[in-house]
Order: sequence, then C-alpha cells, then structure tokens
Amino acid sequence: MTSETDMTHKTLALEVNGRVVETRVPAHRTLLDALRDLGYVEVKRGCEKGDCGACAVLVDGVALDSCLTLAWTVEGCSVTTVTGLGNRTEMHPLQEAFVEHGAIQCGYCTPGLIIAAHSMLSENPSPSEADIRNGLSGNLCRCTGYTKVFDAVAKAAGAMREAGETS
Amino acid sequence: MLSGFELDLPDTLVGVLDLIADGRGTPAVPLAGGTSLIVDMRARRTMPNAVVWLGKIPELRGIQVTQDHVRLGPCTTVSDILNSDELAGSGVSLVRAAEAFGGQMVRNAATVAGNIACNSPASDLVPPLMALDAEVILESRSGSRTVALDRYFTGYKEDVRRTDELITGISWKRQEESSVDLFHKLARRKGDAITVVGVAVNMAVSDGTCMRARIALGAVAPTVLRAKRAESMLEGETLTPGLIEAAARQATEEASPIDDVRASATYRRHGIQVLTARLLTQAWGRLT
Amino acid sequence: MTDTIPTGKAVTRDALRQVGRPLVRTDAVGKAVGKTMYVGDHVMQGMLHARVLRSPIASARLTRLDVSKARALDRVACVLTADDLERPLIAVDIPGQTGRARLETDQQVLVRDRVRYHGEPLALIAAETVEIAEEAMRLIEFDLEPIPGVYNPEDALQPGAPIVQGTDNVVAAQKIVKGDIEKGFREADRIIENTFQTQFVEHAFLEPEVGLGWVDENNIINLRASTQVIENFRFIADAIGVPHNRVRVRASLVGGGFGGKEDVTMECYIALLVKHTGRPIRLEFTREDSLMGHGKRHPFTMTYRTGVKADGTITALEVRLIADAGAYVFLSPYVLLYAAIAAPGPYRVDNLLIDGRAVATNNMYTSAFRGFGAAQAAVAYEQQMDEIAMELGIDRIELRRRNYLRSGDTISSNYPIESAVWTEECVDRAWAALGEPTEATGHLRIGRGVAAYQQSYGRITYLHDTSQAWVGVEIDGSVTVRSGVTDIGAGQVSALGQIAAEVLGVDLDDVAIYNSDSAVTPLAGTTTATRALYMTGNAVKVAAEALRGRLIERAAKSLGVASDGIDIADGTVFAIDDPGISMPFHELVKLSAADGIHCSELAIFRAPFSDGLDPETGEGQVHPDYVFGAHAIEVAVDVETGEVSILKSVAAHDVGRAINPTAVEGQIEGGAAQGQGFALSEEMIYEEGRLITPSFSEYLIPTSMDVPKVESIILESGTGLGPFGAKGIGEPALTPVAPAIANAVTDAIGVRVKELPITPEKIVAALHAEPT
Ligand SMILES: Cc1cc2nc3c(=O)[nH]c(=O)nc-3n(C[C@H](O)[C@H](O)[C@H](O)COP(=O)(O)OP(=O)(O)OC[C@H]3O[C@@H](n4cnc5c(N)ncnc54)[C@H](O)[C@@H]3O)c2cc1C
Ligand code: FES
Ligand code: FES
Repeated sequence: MTSETDMTHKTLALEVNGRVVETRVPAHRTLLDALRDLGYVEVKRGCEKGDCGACAVLVDGVALDSCLTLAWTVEGCSVTTVTGLGNRTEMHPLQEAFVEHGAIQCGYCTPGLIIAAHSMLSENPSPSEADIRNGLSGNLCRCTGYTKVFDAVAKAAGAMREAGETS
Repeated sequence: MLSGFELDLPDTLVGVLDLIADGRGTPAVPLAGGTSLIVDMRARRTMPNAVVWLGKIPELRGIQVTQDHVRLGPCTTVSDILNSDELAGSGVSLVRAAEAFGGQMVRNAATVAGNIACNSPASDLVPPLMALDAEVILESRSGSRTVALDRYFTGYKEDVRRTDELITGISWKRQEESSVDLFHKLARRKGDAITVVGVAVNMAVSDGTCMRARIALGAVAPTVLRAKRAESMLEGETLTPGLIEAAARQATEEASPIDDVRASATYRRHGIQVLTARLLTQAWGRLT
Repeated sequence: MTDTIPTGKAVTRDALRQVGRPLVRTDAVGKAVGKTMYVGDHVMQGMLHARVLRSPIASARLTRLDVSKARALDRVACVLTADDLERPLIAVDIPGQTGRARLETDQQVLVRDRVRYHGEPLALIAAETVEIAEEAMRLIEFDLEPIPGVYNPEDALQPGAPIVQGTDNVVAAQKIVKGDIEKGFREADRIIENTFQTQFVEHAFLEPEVGLGWVDENNIINLRASTQVIENFRFIADAIGVPHNRVRVRASLVGGGFGGKEDVTMECYIALLVKHTGRPIRLEFTREDSLMGHGKRHPFTMTYRTGVKADGTITALEVRLIADAGAYVFLSPYVLLYAAIAAPGPYRVDNLLIDGRAVATNNMYTSAFRGFGAAQAAVAYEQQMDEIAMELGIDRIELRRRNYLRSGDTISSNYPIESAVWTEECVDRAWAALGEPTEATGHLRIGRGVAAYQQSYGRITYLHDTSQAWVGVEIDGSVTVRSGVTDIGAGQVSALGQIAAEVLGVDLDDVAIYNSDSAVTPLAGTTTATRALYMTGNAVKVAAEALRGRLIERAAKSLGVASDGIDIADGTVFAIDDPGISMPFHELVKLSAADGIHCSELAIFRAPFSDGLDPETGEGQVHPDYVFGAHAIEVAVDVETGEVSILKSVAAHDVGRAINPTAVEGQIEGGAAQGQGFALSEEMIYEEGRLITPSFSEYLIPTSMDVPKVESIILESGTGLGPFGAKGIGEPALTPVAPAIANAVTDAIGVRVKELPITPEKIVAALHAEPT
C-alpha cells in the first residue's frame, strides 16, 4: 500500500469504533463502501440513495447515511457502527431493548435503526413518541411495523437516562 | 457506483472560492451535505470532474440572530434549524419545514445552501425562506452580491448563481411581534417524502388590516415561486373568508403545476387552494 | 366440531414450558450487535463481481447485441449473452419435493431475440471489481426494435391483441362452481354488484437480492443466496446443465422475503458465471435491480355480484377475477387458484360461480407475495360486505354475523372446514377494542372499518407437501436441530428450537439449530405459504418426540419408574409422582449413548395429500386448513386534502397456538404496516410497461411517521394442524388490513374509492364527484 496522495486517491486513517484503520481509497468512494471493504459489514446497503437508512453510522455522534457520505470527508472524525456500541456480552441499552422487545425480525434494518435512535437520544434524551417517530423516519423497516421499535427506544431512553449515559 | 473525480477539502473560504473559480484546470463543484449531489452523481445525472467539500470550514455553519436580522451560514443543516431555540422565535415556518424534511440522517447532512442551490422546485426550506423575504449572499473571488431569494431562480434548474460563486449566507429581517409565518407540506407519505405541494405564508397585521402578505409555493411550478398577485389582493385589506378564498384561487392561477408520479396537476392546484386558504385563515385568526 | 368460545389471551395449556412463552429469539442478539452474517457479508479470495444488463424497454426485438468492447475491457473476466448458454431456459414453477408434474413455465434466462418486460436481462458481466463490471455494462451495445406490446389484461384479452408468448394471452383459468347460481339469484331480494381493483405491489424487503457462488473441492457448485427456497437448487442445476446433486444452496438468515425471494433470481446468473469462469462470483442487486428483478403482487380486477335476502343472507355469489400475470407465468396459476378459493371470504355461500383468469401482458411479471391472491380477494369481498350492509341498511357487523362460515361448513370448493372458525369472536373483539370513537374536528372526518378473512396455511394439498427435520442430543445434553428451513426474519428457526426444547425438556438456549443448507440439512421445503411452522414445526416435533420416547424408556430402567410416569423439564429427568426420583438429562443421554441407543432422529412430516380439483366444478380439497381472524381500523380523513391518518389498529387472530407470542405480535404488526402500504401509498407504476417508480423515493412504504401502534389480540383455539395445535400467522397478518382501511375511509367520507391504493388524490376526486 502506498502513502502517495493525489486528488483522486489517498490513504486515509479512519477511526472506526475507537480503532484507527488505514485504507487507500479513491475520492469517489462512499463511506458505506469503504467501511464494508474494511469488514464493517454490519453497515448495510439497502438503496444507496438515502431512502432507507440501513447504512447509517455515527460520525462524531451524529447519524449520517454512509451511502451519501464520501469516505474522505470523515477523516479525523470518529465513526461508530452498531458493533461499536456493544457486543454479545455487553450490549448497549438500545441493543438490549431491541432484543427484549422483539423489535428485530429480519434484522437488516436494525443496525441503522439503532444508530439513528442513538443519535436522536443524544440530542433529545427524553423523547416523546412523536419525537421517536420523527427521529426514525429515515429508517425503513419492512418487517416489524415499528410498534416494538418505538417501545424499545422509549425503554432504552429511560435506561440510558438512569445510567446517565446519553452520548 | 460513483464515477471518479478529484476531491479537495480546503479549510478556508478563500480556498473554496479559488477551487470553484478555476480549480486545478476545471472549476470544482461545491459539495455540502451530499444528499442531492451524491444522489445525482450516482444516477449519472451529473458527473463533475472536480468536487470541493465545504464541511471543513466551521464558520460556514451556524445560526446568528441579532437585534433585527437572522443569518444562516450556508452549511447550516436542516437539523441545526430544527433544534434551534432562536429560530423557534423568528422563523417558525422554517422550523416546520425542517421538521417535515427527509429523515433524520438526511436532515443531519442536508444544508440550507444545498437546498437552495440544488434548484429543486420541491425544496422545502425555500418556500418559508422566500415568504420571509430572505436574501442570498453570493461570494466569489471577485466580490460578493446579495440577491433576493425571490429572484434567485430563473427557470427549471436555472438560477442567477455563476459557477464561480458560492452561497455564503442566507438572511432575513426578524419579524415584528404582530406577524405570523406558517408552512404546510402535502406529500404522499408523512415521513420522508418528496413534497407534492408546499405552501408558506407570512403575514403582518396592524389594527385589523393586513399590512404584509407573503405566499410562497413549492412543487407546483418550475421553481419555488411567490403568488404575488394573490398577496397584493390581501395587503391593505381586512381579510374575510371570501377574500381568502379568492386569494387562494388566485394563487392556483399563478402556479403552473405538472402531472408526475406523485400527483396530477389538478390535484396540485386543489392542494394550493386548500392549503393557502387554510394557512391564511390560521394566520389571520392568530393576529386578530 | 363445536367451537369453544375463548375467553381471553390466556387459554390454559397442558403445562407447556417453552411453547407459548414470549422468549427472546435465538437470532436476536447477533442481529442487535451487528454480528449476524447475511449472505452479502461473505466474501471470497479471488471472487469476481457481477452485474446484469437489463432491457430499458418492455416490448422489443433484440436485433443487435455487441459485447466485444465489454469483453475487451481490462479486468473483465466474462460476459455472457443468450448465445453463450447451453440451455436457454429455466423453470419457474413451485419447486416441489415430490417430483410431481410441473406446469409449463420455462422461460428464457437471457433475452435471445424477444424482450417481453422492462428489465428483462440481456447480458451478464463478471469483472474484478463492481466498478469495472459497471463500466463494461456501459460498453455493451445493443439495438432494440420496439414492437407493439400489451399493457393491461383487458386489452390483452381483445381479439387481435399482441400475443406476449405462445398462442394466447390467457396463462391460467380457474373456475369454481357450487350449488345452483341461477336459483340463488332467483331467491335474492337484492343483487349488488361492484368492481374492485388492486395494483402492482413490491415486497420491498430491506436486503436486496444477493448471492455468492463458487466451485468447491468436490466440483460442486455452491451458492450462498438470499432466498426463501433452497430447493430451487434443482431448477438452477437444470438450467446450467449439471445433475441436481452438483448444486448446493445455502440461505441461512435472509433480510426479508414476503414471497419476493421465492422464485429464482440471481442464483441462476451466479451459477452460470461460476460455471463459465471457474471463479467465485458475487452478485448483489442494486435496489433498482431488485425492483426490476423479481415478480410483483398481481393486480386484480374483481367483479362481485352478490344476491342477498332482505335480512342480509347471501343466496348467490358470482365473482369474475382478472389478474395481470405480466410477461411470464411464474406462480400465476397458483395465485389465481388461491384468489378463487378465497373469493367468498369467511362467509357461507351455497350458490357460487367463480371465474378467474390470469392474463399475460408486457408488464413486469407477477408472482408470490404474502397473501398470495387471497389477500387481493379479501380487498374485494370485505368491501363488498360493507356495500351490501349499506344498501340493505343493516349494521356491518350484524350482516357479517348472519353469513359467517362456521366449522363444518364447506368452503368455495365444497370442502369442509374441520378446525375451529372463530371469525365472529375475532371480529367482535377487534371491533370492541377500538373503544370510544375519536371526535371529528375541523376538516377531519373519522371512520371505522373492519375486515375478516379466510387464509390458508400450508401448501396446496395435491402438490403432496412434505418437510423433514433431524433432532439429536449430544452427550452433554445439548440439543441439535437440523433442517433445511430458511429464516426470512419471522423467527422460523427460533420457533423450531422452542419446539425441540419443549419436547425434550431443555431450555431454548440449549438448542443449536443448523438450517437451510440443501446439501447437509434435511430438506424442509420452502419458507412460503405460511407453512414453515406448520410443516417443519411438525417434523421437528415428530423427531423430538421419537427421541424423547427412546430416552425416557432408558430412564425408566435407571429410575425404576414406568415410562409413562416420567417427564423431563429444565434439564432434569424425573418421576412425575415423586420428583425426588430424578437424574440430570445429560446423564441420561450418556447412559443411552453407552447402550448404543440412537440419540438422534430424522422425521418426515406429510401434509394431508389430495388429488386435484374436479376440472368441471373446481370441487375438492386445496389446502390443509385455514386461519380466521379480523382487523379493525379507525382513520381520520382530511376531506380537503384527502390525507388519511390511521388512528387505531387492532388485530384479532385465532393462530391456533402461539408458539412465541412476541413473534406472533411481530407478524401482526408488520402485516398491519404492509397492509397499510397496500391500501394507501404503495404502487409500482408501469407506463407502457416501463417502471416509473424505480426507487424508494417513488415507491412509498410506510415509515415510522405513518403507522399507528398496533394492538394484537391473540386467540388460541388449539385446533390447528401445526405443532401444539398451531395454525399460522405469516400471511393472515396482512390479509384483512387493506380492506379494513378501505372500509374505514369509506365510513369517514361517505364514498368509496374502489381502486387501491386509496391516495389523497383519489379521495379528493371521489368527494368532488359525489353530489352533495
Ligand atoms: C432521502 C432524501 C430525502 C430528502 N428529503 C427532502 C425533503 O424532504 N425536502 C427537501 O427539500 N429536500 C429533500 N431532499 C433533497 C436534499 O436533501 C436537499 O435538497 C438538501 O437540502 C440538499 O443539501 P445538501 O447540503 O445535501 O446539498 P448537496 O447535495 O451537497 O448539494 C446540492 C447542490 O447544491 C450545491 N451547493 C451546495 N452548497 C452550496 C453553496 N454553499 N453554494 C453554492 N452551491 C452549493 C451543490 O454544488 C449541488 O449542486 C432529500 C434527499 C434525500 C436523499
Ligand atoms: S443504503 Fe444508505 S440510505 Fe439506503
Ligand atoms: S426487521 Fe426486517 S426490515 Fe426491519
């Protein structure tokens, strides 16, 4: 891998889930493709045009559709995917609530929904149901009908407030 | 997949202005949130050779409210607008438009300048801004100028901006106490949908007389537009249901909607009529 | 059989321990933490990336196809056109496990000279990267000479209409006759006729079709594919010209299906490219590919002519069904059959004539979709019931009550229903749960609607459906289930684990499930037709019970207690009368293994088999059994803009037995949202066959802003043919929703929009057409 930089190719140092990874990518590479190529396949591809939210990741805590974000533009930021929030033994309250409430069916939308919910809660730790709905309206889910998703997010919000963890 | 291009990420405004002027041989296209440009590039509707990203310049983003003006940096996002306490007091219609805009991720990325510069008749922030008499500040290496938003668009996907100019601000006068600004978006779905008809109304009333009326319409003509003849029917008058109906009908005449996959021109006309009347009635009701 | 009227959510069970509990599904945690590997997440050394070139128009002759520039492009490995294929055709029938005769449905894999729909594949490309594959795709030159097509069934049936394929545009016809229709109409006091229409609907699963194929060390073509049906390996093998045992398909966890991943799509393209290049091939559809690359829900035109007595009793029903089959047959004949069987709805009709046709057009082909024709029929029969009630001035629920089909009555094909029919209970409970009506304000009008239904579960009985499962215990007492079943998101796999855990007295966590591998897991049949739980659940139960029997026999010897006095729970084997006499389950397994007792079991479950229907009357058995239930809706309609908001949504279904109540609710809530899209916002629009809604910004499925919270009332008659008396809920959850919404909107605004989707624009037009 060369470290040569021009205006079309360069080696990026991306901080993903707290680890810095180096990757050489062209200027037109989306963050979605860059992350998936690096093995962060929990970031899902559903439409590549901002319609579905399956590809959402946190960039400095704010949820963005990675399919509409160029990889170069997040250098120096911290990128978080759903695997960066928790793992099987230590789940994030959102992950725990999604599991407990049965808010997951095929699960393809889940990483994006959890990221969007996280971003919404860091802006608004005590959301009303209307706030939750508006915070998730960029994430399509075809399986659940969202009822259990609303319950899960409300539950997690409570748990996160109690734990004093809102970021 | 996107096709290749050169990308610059300057951290000064001057750097951007240089690049869009002649760049490295080819003028670079500004990229803000990418929610319009990246989609168009993927669909190969546009294939720029050089792109300059605006996100490295913090000064371009932010909301300033002074004694009598509100100014938005070009890279202010839709979420910034939605979460702004100041705007909740001096640009409610814009906050409403931000609330009805896309989904969260799109709102977190999409910028106000991008919404204007993408030149879409369905841009949701534009009707409220136009009804607030907002102005667009354009800057290039050779200087800056201010254009009323109302005169910014010249035709479908056409505007007054030269490619070497960047939108560096959007501003409007703070509204007096006795005024109301409202926005309503009609779409095929409540969440994340392209507007079928957008109507913004801004009204000031004094002593039972309508002193200022603004009606801006989205998605019903080649550009967002003001229904100026309808506005002038109202100014200086005491509004009655009959007058409101007549002005709303006039507004439909000023639009030139088309049939598309979302709605027919007939329905769009009907939507203008209903929403204009509804918003005018609400505004008048609140001010009298 | 008499119906015992259920009293509530909790019906006493015979001491079930795992079944009936709202357990966390086995797949949930992996999905929540992003560790579940979907098909698209697998990569392979040296793999190539594929793309499909599709026709930009719907009806044309391909006069030139020049791939030379694409082939010459650096790092392009392979470009295939129809001329490169040894076998130009692939079958697209229901994949059978039994080898019974198939329909004549073979269709071209790639266009040789005739394009019949927008998006039909012209060429396949494999290259080192996706970018290069796309560049190569753009280098392919082709000429298409447009030829007149036909774009709606009505035109297609006219004499002289362009013929889509073969000699005739009728791809299937279905007639059902019962009683004496003339006599029925003579007995009627009123005859009410209406025509209802549905649209093209897209499944919109979130995971676009994707697959990875390679040749393994034994020269077997392997495919990981996001499919509902691993049994398609047979069609794929036939299409590429290898024996069936040389293609292996694995699906594992699929990112949604709803019927849209039932037919073969990318699998065949991948297999061909693997065969031609010898290298691993990955093909992931873009969303645009996906929307153009699989069949849609059939639009139906349904004319109902109902004879009724003044008291509301139905005396005769004549139904004409016309379905748009699109350019190829696929599952149209079966979808039409389901619609015909369901046409009267959950009502007793003694004099019946149903006449259905599926008609070819140059629109996108249509095939399986949750509800499978029966969902379209429900849109008609339930709106017709409301229309009849209105004409006769009888309360809508009362009119239904006077006509409900009861257990022991015969359905349309004159075959009796044996299980419980709790339609009345479901309708009454759902309706009551709507509670106090919301007050109308300003320009909003409030309306309510209800719809009941009859939906089959399990496959057509004359296809002789079977399913297999293997259950084994390890020496440490852990349990393994092996079954070919695919999990498309509804928790199919987890439910099997629950059943095995129930029978063997262990925890769900103690069960590991290996599934959906056509080579090594026993074939279970498709995850379609609300059959996975019914069929494979039974297979698992049968296998686990046989195993349990052997183990308990061995325990009897050790514990000195008769076998029928022994139970297993929480990993302990004990005497029922004296739980102190016990041993750990794993000890028992060890003892059994040491004795050479067979600690696993392979079971096959056979659905009831029947012969075909009477060709004249359509009489006979078609399905093993049916699910009954209802959905009730309250809406607010803005009579100025035509916008509809759903305020309340209540479902009541007799699911037989809820193996996992949380999963059942999940199906109901998801079905409610899909039904809402069907009713109000979703439509694939084809103009001269050309798709003009090619993405999720034009094709609008409900978002979090659009749906109400759904209340589920789960009733359990325990009379289903599935494990522990389960029926099914996958498809039924959707079926009554759209007609309930349509009825609620009509109730609100006083006029009926008879064509789905009921858009704001149609509402405004209907209100303005109505003289006030
Ligand atoms: C899923 C989805 C939903 C959407 N929903 C809505 C919606 O509800 N309402 C709505 O109005 N729009 C919507 N949009 C469209 C889009 O998000 C908006 O138009 C957005 O405001 C564009 O801003 P951006 O910063 O992303 O612009 P970009 O995509 O970065 O740029 C758009 C155009 O503006 C130019 N540009 C950007 N900044 C400047 C500048 N400072 N000076 C000069 N030119 C500039 C670019 O060169 C480009 O031509 C949606 C888009 C998507 C993908
Ligand atoms: S893949 Fe990015 S929004 Fe759908
Ligand atoms: S769980 Fe399948 S799309 Fe949301």
